[in-house]
Amino acid sequence: MSEYFVIGLDIGSATAKAVLIDNEGKKIASSIRPTAGRLLQSAETVKREVMEQAKVNEELVKAIITTGYGRDIIPDKTKSITEITCHARGAHETEPTIRFVIDIGGQDSKTILLDIDGQVNRFEMNDKCAAGTGRFLEVMARTLGIHLDEMGEMAVKSDKTSRISSTCTVFAESEVISLLAQGEEIPAIVSGLCRAVSERVQGLAARVGVVPPIMMTGGVAKNKGVVNWLSKILKHELIVPEEPQIIGALGAAIMGLELINKNNDSIQKITQSK
Amino acid sequence: MSLEVREFIKPFVSVSEDLYYFSKQAKKNGEMVAGFMCTYSPQELFHAAGYFPVRIIGKDGGTPLADQWLQPYACSFAKSVLNMGLSGDYPFLDLMVFSHTCDTMQNLADVWRRRVNGPPVIIVSTPNLSAGDLSLTYLKRELTRVKEEVEKISGNKIADDKLLNSINLYNKHRDNMKLLYDMRRKSPTLITGTEMFAIVLSSFVMKKEEHNKLLEELIQQLEKMAPENIAKPKILVGGSVCQAQGFIQTIESSGALVCDDDLCMGSRAYVIPSVPEGDPIEMLAQMYLLRIPCPAIHKPGYDPAGPYIDKIKAGNIDGVIFLQTKFCDPYGFNYPYLRKRLEQEGIPSLLLEVEQNQPVAESFHTRVEAFIETLSAK
Repeated sequence: MSEYFVIGLDIGSATAKAVLIDNEGKKIASSIRPTAGRLLQSAETVKREVMEQAKVNEELVKAIITTGYGRDIIPDKTKSITEITCHARGAHETEPTIRFVIDIGGQDSKTILLDIDGQVNRFEMNDKCAAGTGRFLEVMARTLGIHLDEMGEMAVKSDKTSRISSTCTVFAESEVISLLAQGEEIPAIVSGLCRAVSERVQGLAARVGVVPPIMMTGGVAKNKGVVNWLSKILKHELIVPEEPQIIGALGAAIMGLELINKNNDSIQKITQSK
Repeated sequence: MSLEVREFIKPFVSVSEDLYYFSKQAKKNGEMVAGFMCTYSPQELFHAAGYFPVRIIGKDGGTPLADQWLQPYACSFAKSVLNMGLSGDYPFLDLMVFSHTCDTMQNLADVWRRRVNGPPVIIVSTPNLSAGDLSLTYLKRELTRVKEEVEKISGNKIADDKLLNSINLYNKHRDNMKLLYDMRRKSPTLITGTEMFAIVLSSFVMKKEEHNKLLEELIQQLEKMAPENIAKPKILVGGSVCQAQGFIQTIESSGALVCDDDLCMGSRAYVIPSVPEGDPIEMLAQMYLLRIPCPAIHKPGYDPAGPYIDKIKAGNIDGVIFLQTKFCDPYGFNYPYLRKRLEQEGIPSLLLEVEQNQPVAESFHTRVEAFIETLSAK
């Protein structure tokens, strides 16, 4: 059994994620829960869940690295690192040739250009506008009376794509209702919505300058409709990891391991302030 | 920094609690206060006429009154100042001075003149072309006109020797500030960027005589301090914000040191050079034309990247953060060129779009932290 373990916590505004790795950087356990407005509780929940899954006690956890929106308020963290750096690290760990990361989360999206060695070169974030985030799709799923999880398949199977011209989530919702009233088919609308999200993200990616290979992370990467449209628009294949939502937490955990290895003697699990 | 030296910083920092404290005091004492918007305002002239010149800055909060009169794409700084004017938030002003710089400032001047119930307004028509004999002749004539208007409004004659004295006082102040900037370039840990900005901000709302005195005392103390080694990334902040306090504080609390700046309320306020003594109006015209221009002013042959590269080399700067006020076109026009030049020099930079009437957003904090993480990884 591994001497010690490291936990990465990615506490986002929509979901809280935890990844537990061993002292060689191998992922042992992961957990995802809705944040539901409770940053501390959801962080604690996912942390306990990965420890339970891995059958690991508190004492064996040598470091806890936090990232995401709630990274600074977790009391027993060793260090907090921004989600930009953590997503880059997690992507590089998963596939070392990756040069570009597109992360579309619940309430924000980011595009990150990596150097050849996996370090962050440049990045852009959208956290002002819901269009181009998971929130956009959530709102539309509700409007269409379908499940968020159904959208991807629906979009892929549709041979028609409705044109959604509104760039704003609120106005797009009204537009969708009009389209339904006009008799547009739901799958065609869903395909149109996936294209709309992809077009928003394309803008964000272009501001940084896309360099392949590209990895897509975040919950929206599970939507095949968006992945297909984004790939078509960017004219590049997108690599989607098996668990796209935990890349940030994975990166955080790996950075925790690197921190431990840099300080050769054992480090206390301390709360570090900048 | 030792506790004793901290005492010399305190008077500067306390100004942030009530920016217009000294203006209001002056008013109570029966003195005249002149508000100005821009470093192209010939403050020396108003000072010589007996005014206490103070820089007009906006504040956090919505701008519903200003939104009536300014288009949505006017910057938040202009809107905030107009809103405060319309709300009567500058009751201590006896004179309001605008300068002809960017489009928004020009229009703000006219809107203010028509809509704000307040003191007389003077608009200084600074030439956009900041070089050559024609500009000099033009500015001399304009400054003469402004001088006559100020004399009429104030009821005070501006004698040549009075104006010369004011010019000398302001030159001394600029020299002191430039010295402080230089000291920080050589030894960035003397005072933090946040403290430096407090000194800069207070220089605009405190009497020059008083600020000079405090500066000289502080510089004396700092000269005794030994340089320290610093492990944090060193940042230069550039851009088009006036109230940069919150931003600089956030950058420094994210693990970096703001060692230098290229800000209007910052080093660019002290770039007005001294000129040989002569006719004071001629001197002023020379000074304000020879100075390093602001992005809204055109100076043939001037390279806006020059000051950046110089400061980066002088201070061993690790990275540049641009604070771009939304809708500030003049600075925005410079940015692509600045970024390219920095890239050529291998200097990482970050562009952040900011508003000047809102507290620092969480999103700002995250981007700054991420940028500093990339610098620390090098």
